[in-house]
Amino acid sequence: MGAAVTCENLGKTFPGGVEAVTSVSLDVAHGEIYGFLGPNGAGKTTMISMLTTLLRPTHGTAEVEGIDVVREPERVRRRIGLVFQRSTSDDALTGRENLEIIAGLHGISPRAARPRIRELLERLDLVEAADRRVGAYSGGMRRRLEIAAGIVHAPSLLFLDEPTLGLDPQGRAGFWQYIRELRSENGMTIFLTTHYLDEADQLSDRVSIIDHGRVLRTDSPVALKESLGSDIVLVQPSDPSRDLASLLGAIPGVASVEPRSPEGAYRVRVARSESFVPAVVRACDAAGVELAGVSTRKPSLDEVFLTLTGREYREESEANHHAAPGASSPGGR
Amino acid sequence: MYREFVTVLRREALKWVRVPIWVASYFVVPILYLVLFGQAFDLARLFPAGEDGSLYVRAALLGAPNYFSYFAVGMVAFVTLTASLYSGTGILFDKQLGIHPRMTATPAPRSALFAGSLTFRAFSAAWPAFLALGFALAFEGVPGLAGLSVRSSVSALGVGEIVAAEVLLAIMFTALFLSFGYVLNSNEAYFGITSLLNLPILFTSNAMFPQGTMPPWLQTVTAYNPASMATNVMRENLFQTSGYPYPPEVYLLGLLAWAVVLVALGLYLSARSLRVQ
Repeated sequence: MGAAVTCENLGKTFPGGVEAVTSVSLDVAHGEIYGFLGPNGAGKTTMISMLTTLLRPTHGTAEVEGIDVVREPERVRRRIGLVFQRSTSDDALTGRENLEIIAGLHGISPRAARPRIRELLERLDLVEAADRRVGAYSGGMRRRLEIAAGIVHAPSLLFLDEPTLGLDPQGRAGFWQYIRELRSENGMTIFLTTHYLDEADQLSDRVSIIDHGRVLRTDSPVALKESLGSDIVLVQPSDPSRDLASLLGAIPGVASVEPRSPEGAYRVRVARSESFVPAVVRACDAAGVELAGVSTRKPSLDEVFLTLTGREYREESEANHHAAPGASSPGGR
Repeated sequence: MYREFVTVLRREALKWVRVPIWVASYFVVPILYLVLFGQAFDLARLFPAGEDGSLYVRAALLGAPNYFSYFAVGMVAFVTLTASLYSGTGILFDKQLGIHPRMTATPAPRSALFAGSLTFRAFSAAWPAFLALGFALAFEGVPGLAGLSVRSSVSALGVGEIVAAEVLLAIMFTALFLSFGYVLNSNEAYFGITSLLNLPILFTSNAMFPQGTMPPWLQTVTAYNPASMATNVMRENLFQTSGYPYPPEVYLLGLLAWAVVLVALGLYLSARSLRVQ
């Protein structure tokens, strides 16, 4: 049995020459939770739009469940579910009516749809609100309704485009719990885009990190972090003008001393931060250097992104977010 | 295809009944036109009875016993036009609110999405017109009000032709304005185009003014206007007059041709708009 999603050199250039996705090749296995990560504007939404037949690729090929997305879009649409970034429900209709409409557009008879919708409403804790108009729903309820709309036809593959955008931490945790259950109970393949690296780290079996329309690296979160090969210790001298590079580099176990952060802290890669911290304190004490702080970081996907791109992920994401507020809409890159 | 079509039809109906003022306006507008406009506006009264001008106007009414009767039938076409003007706004708002992408992500045939909206919107444009016709007939029995006076010998076939003309008119206008909803992306552009078309369609028809009183070039335009064709079918049947160049069946064929062209155009434009880019 082939992969759930395969694509080769997939790319999209919009009229005017804006290259949203340069060239992406990837495979997603059946039953896998696959994270597609990158800052806002990296090309995640364009990628998901091509795979879900909403956008035509400029070049390359893509197959979903073995079906070509360009040649047979209707067949692809029958097999996939899609949860959009923002609410796509009709405010004038009730939650139940919205689900009935989506089921009907998938060709499901009202008789067959009724128990499925009831089950989803119960599962997503929307039973009490089911017959209220969606216009009166909270943000969390709308998100849960979006999931129900995405899976009302029981697809084998679910695409989630920034599904937790705008949710509070509790809402995000509940959302991901349900996604985990979907995978474990139904074996559903899940392809998600997000710019929250922490949740992709916890959830995904594998992640691809995308930046400026290109995949930089694909692997499991653990393997990506282990590829950095070290813990990170931030050493902040009280006197920012004091040069500690040679002192830190001489301490046993140090792999590298990286340039100072804007705050003046040295970024030291070490094999084991537990043994390095006492050593750096002793070395600084002996050299008469007063320290403002020493902190340790286990490798994270943020660190992976920094290593791959040379830029801080969060700063990049924030900057893009402020520069292009429309980027998180369904029409965003 | 059938299930998806019915689903779109149901959605349109649910949205419609959720806005009572929208429903109410469909009842009130025909009455307002007939009471405020129709009662005050009588071309024949502009001339003293028996004068040449008055006789000329009466002759131009082609068998209608008075101007209100002539005007009331024209109002049926006008009400259809105004009721269908906003058919495309639902599509426009769906695009802006993100509902459109959700619908296009489903495997529903694109023609079913268009046909479902067209059917409901055409229905909701047609029945206020029948309501207007009913009110105008009822006014005839109300003291102090001018009413629509028709010949008692209107046949069942004639009634069928009137219904067919009205339904075809509703379908073609709805298809036209639905197409604008698919093609355009801004509210301003949509309302600009509908404003641009609304009055020219009315004034290049014989809905309000007898065709015989128009300059020759306008008479030619008016003859091909579907609103004129629909009113011709209704007037010929209701007033049992032979003053028209063609029998009602010919005008019905003309209306059918218009409807086929505009529905085909709507199907094409909606499919093009829904196609992946």
